Amino acid sequence: MTVLTDLGQAARHAGEFRAGGTDLMARRPAGPYVDLHGLPGLSGLTWRPDGSLRIGALTTVAELAGDVRLRAAHPGLALTAQALATPQIRAVATVGGNLLQRNRCWYYRNPAFSCHQNGGDSCPARAGLTLYSAVIETGPCVAPHPSSLAMALLACEASVEVHGRGPSPVGDLYGDGSDPARDHLLGPGEILVGIDLPPPVPGERAAYHRAIGRSEAEWPLVEAVARLIPDGDGIALAAVAVGGVARTPLRLPEVEEALLAGEPLDRAAARAAARCTPTAQNGYKVALLTGTVLEVLERAAGAAEGGS
Amino acid sequence: MKIILNGAPVLLDAGRDDATVDVLRDGLGLTGAKAACRTGVCGACTVMVDGTPQASCLLPAAALEGRQVTTAEGLDHPVQRAFAVHDGMQCGYCTPGFVVEAAAFVDRWRGEHGDTAPPRERIAAALAGHLCRCGAYEGIYAAVAAACRGEHDAATGAPARVEAMDKVTGRARYTTDVRLDGQLEGVIIRSARAHARVVEVKVDGAHTVDLLPSDRVVRYAGQPVAAVAAPTRREALAIAEGARIVYDPIPAALDDAPGAPPVYDESSRRRAPSSSEGMNLPGGWNGNVKGPFTMASRRSRTARRRIEAARRRADPLLVTGTFTTAVQVHTPLEPHACVARWDDRGDLHLHLSTQTVGLAAGQAAKRWDLAADRVHVVADHVGGGFGAKVGITAETVAAVELARVCGAPVRVVLSRAEELTDAGNRPGTRTDIALLTDDRGDLAALAMDVRGRGGVAVGSAVAVLARLMYGTAPRLLRDSDVVTNEPPGTPFRGPGAPPMLWALEQAVDEAAHRLGEDPVALRRRWDGNRKRHALYDWVAGLPVWLDRPGTGSQTGRFRRGVGVAAANWAYMLDPATEVELEVRGDVVVARTTVQDIGTGTRTVIAEVLGEELGLPPERIRVEIGRTGTVHGPPSIGSRATTSVAPAARDAARRLRAQGLTDGRRVVGRRRGDRRGYVTPVAVAGMALGRGFSGAVHVTEVEVDTRLGVIRPLRVWAGIAVGHIYSERLARGQCEGGIVQGIGYALHEERHVDPVTGAVLTTNLEDYRIPGIGDSPEMVVHFHRDGWDHVNGGGVGVGEVSTIGVAASVGNAVHNATGWRPRDLPIRPDRLLEGIGG
Repeated sequence: MTVLTDLGQAARHAGEFRAGGTDLMARRPAGPYVDLHGLPGLSGLTWRPDGSLRIGALTTVAELAGDVRLRAAHPGLALTAQALATPQIRAVATVGGNLLQRNRCWYYRNPAFSCHQNGGDSCPARAGLTLYSAVIETGPCVAPHPSSLAMALLACEASVEVHGRGPSPVGDLYGDGSDPARDHLLGPGEILVGIDLPPPVPGERAAYHRAIGRSEAEWPLVEAVARLIPDGDGIALAAVAVGGVARTPLRLPEVEEALLAGEPLDRAAARAAARCTPTAQNGYKVALLTGTVLEVLERAAGAAEGGS
Repeated sequence: MKIILNGAPVLLDAGRDDATVDVLRDGLGLTGAKAACRTGVCGACTVMVDGTPQASCLLPAAALEGRQVTTAEGLDHPVQRAFAVHDGMQCGYCTPGFVVEAAAFVDRWRGEHGDTAPPRERIAAALAGHLCRCGAYEGIYAAVAAACRGEHDAATGAPARVEAMDKVTGRARYTTDVRLDGQLEGVIIRSARAHARVVEVKVDGAHTVDLLPSDRVVRYAGQPVAAVAAPTRREALAIAEGARIVYDPIPAALDDAPGAPPVYDESSRRRAPSSSEGMNLPGGWNGNVKGPFTMASRRSRTARRRIEAARRRADPLLVTGTFTTAVQVHTPLEPHACVARWDDRGDLHLHLSTQTVGLAAGQAAKRWDLAADRVHVVADHVGGGFGAKVGITAETVAAVELARVCGAPVRVVLSRAEELTDAGNRPGTRTDIALLTDDRGDLAALAMDVRGRGGVAVGSAVAVLARLMYGTAPRLLRDSDVVTNEPPGTPFRGPGAPPMLWALEQAVDEAAHRLGEDPVALRRRWDGNRKRHALYDWVAGLPVWLDRPGTGSQTGRFRRGVGVAAANWAYMLDPATEVELEVRGDVVVARTTVQDIGTGTRTVIAEVLGEELGLPPERIRVEIGRTGTVHGPPSIGSRATTSVAPAARDAARRLRAQGLTDGRRVVGRRRGDRRGYVTPVAVAGMALGRGFSGAVHVTEVEVDTRLGVIRPLRVWAGIAVGHIYSERLARGQCEGGIVQGIGYALHEERHVDPVTGAVLTTNLEDYRIPGIGDSPEMVVHFHRDGWDHVNGGGVGVGEVSTIGVAASVGNAVHNATGWRPRDLPIRPDRLLEGIGG
């Protein structure tokens, strides 16, 4: 293992990067690993005078979840951070690691199978079980993207900074999901150093929901986050993103436009179904997607300023 | 690298990529933290790092540099005493992780809120990263709340079980914690194919033992092929990964279609292992189908005739349906584990995680051709079993054989993936049921046709158990097995009963619905069992039952429902049980060949002795979990307590009569019941006693029709098992039974890839067991009459307390929604589809 202490040296070390290690230690890929904890200045939340925010990539999920100012400024992100994984994982897992973790497909994680994600050229899930697979098809791999924070950051119009590159929208980390071999598009040796959020929007209300069978500690069947600013009887701002349904986290502009056009929440939520391409086994995700979107819309619309 | 470990500076010489849990356990001998899942899900490995609980299986040792690490061994916190007093545990394997997390939560809570009890959901959220397979969540809630109220700051209150303090401090040693001098680590090499003849196994650089059957055919993916040993587990795994297995493929049967390739030929059928506790039911083979077995009789022909006639006339009182259940995996948090050592005399020493110390020793003696007294088995603490740890299983064979060829002690511990693949499961079932009520409202006929799917195992005995229910109305009960190239089923807590009741108790509910009769009143009429009558009367008076909503009457998003299910179970015992007492100075030492798998056997013996001898706890020592003493019962079939407690009492009375003088030794026996047993002779230490234990469960659920979630809110359990030896422990067993029943009803399902036969649910994220937030509030009511004929007056509670729970959930969902679930588990997708029409 190497401990990286200088960002400029990243490309010189072979091996997978390790931050908190909560994903890597469970997958246990063949080493070597390059440990990132020695990198200075990549941890914590930095508020700029204009109200915009830099989140260092090594900030833990627990720091996000517990930050009082973040809860007021970007409630959708804070709520998402509070709901993912478990307290022990949130205490260690980093924001950067969460964005760049590998997917949870039970074929990909099972050494008995070869698939697009680990050097193979097929998707065993397609021939096998797709109960938990993506319901919106974007490419040969059907593993839902695992990062709840990526979904929330997408809704928050966040940008990311990769060392040596200028800022880019968070969605660019993932592309359109057509490349079945990757969960993110960073190249070898590239390091995500931080996430930038624009200044908070006054009057924002937000909600997050994770649709799971048990009460806690489960990867989402479907998840959604909504940011709304009500304006009289209408809606002045709408940002809706979903996870658990596609190869990448997704914004739902069709739902947002319907909301801005004054459609009732349930009709707007139902528009999420249009892009679904269910298999014989995961058709339930269509109803669950529209139900989860409606859930966050209702909660955000009904919430006091901040989140619910 | 320097750390502060439990308050003292320690220099670590650890690989920086090693997981912290391995450094603590193997490097420093601190075995309180358990590596139970290795994916950060179960929390059994939780330690505090600079005051924050972290999953040490995912924590690189490199992250410890310069930090303060506290393990359960170094923790001295009121919540540990609270867990001991409120019995927030059974087997105790998850306990060190729970108490570390709970300690941090209690301190934080009291700092922010003072000495007040947190709401239940706050406790659940704080402990969401922990799993207890025994389901001791009710005690855990109580313990955390009490600690938050400041009730355990001083050492007050007696621990509920004698070994409680060992469990909350991480001192309790399990088989996985044993480390002998010169010990090697063994790993099992498993088949990647679902069906193949193994032509050759090539392993480089290690001693290898063969684990293939004599026909060299593997019949499921994950079947043991060979085992290897090396000084460390990592090395052994690397050798195993490098093994090359040459297969001659055979077509595999991965579904129950009639045209599936044969799993066995005529000569190999006798190899089929059994998923049943007793003898396999007889029955011929037809392809991959064995059976059906049915007790043909005039009564069964009557049942068939009546049902056929009712079908022809479309009788509205004929309830029919097809019910299915998924494969459920035992997955005790301590995986199967064995440390084997051959000594200079040729004696075999086994540290074994087992429910059957005596049976395992006997099987080992037979298998390795040793005199019975040359096999020594130790199981001080056992991290759960639920039926999976009976006799000699693959890890033991591997450890013993490897120890012999290596000339060194060998430890074999299954990984969670192995545990979830090939260490036991409750077979899946498909049941066609027909239940006919006559115009007087009596049960006229019952037919159940059950196809069990236990992979390569046979022995499904589901329908036959319906004979125990609802009097003597004519019934046609047929059981068959459909074998597939999937891992074998094994007995699992109440074998056969949960799927039988899932179908029967919902059909009875439907019958009541069609008759317009209260489902409890109908059961009371049909059920001749006096003990259960008392339970029905208790249920009938519960406010939740009286106030239950009309079925299907609700239209809102959230719908509340209440469901009931009855169950009964055979009373079994080991009539050969003895307990030996010896006076050593001030202390009375009790011994018998029994084990405590979390059911509290150690405590029951101690409490009986304390009562009989009038001695305080510190003057009684119970040394169980090892051979070398008198015969004791296996911890299976709800028979340990009813076997061992009367024997302990008999021994105590003898000792009292003879006087407690130093060195005195007496042996007490489990004296017979009045009127003897149903079985004339004991088979393998087992007798079937007279009478059935009974249970009635009432479950209240809330159904979220938008998001497909079923939340069990409260469960009432009426249990009729006679005398309760230890109230708190018995209640804990019943609560755990409810939690496992809820897992079976809503969450647990083993998935197998339909193309390759590989198990997909190989971790505790994908195999979903209930967490603390899924545990409802529970009320347990014991009816204690009706067992006067039994020596000791009470029978076992382990199985009857869980088998009917899923059916009560099904009936509650029907009450809430008007939709009757037929397939287990009732996943969100099934609920959404069902109520969506």
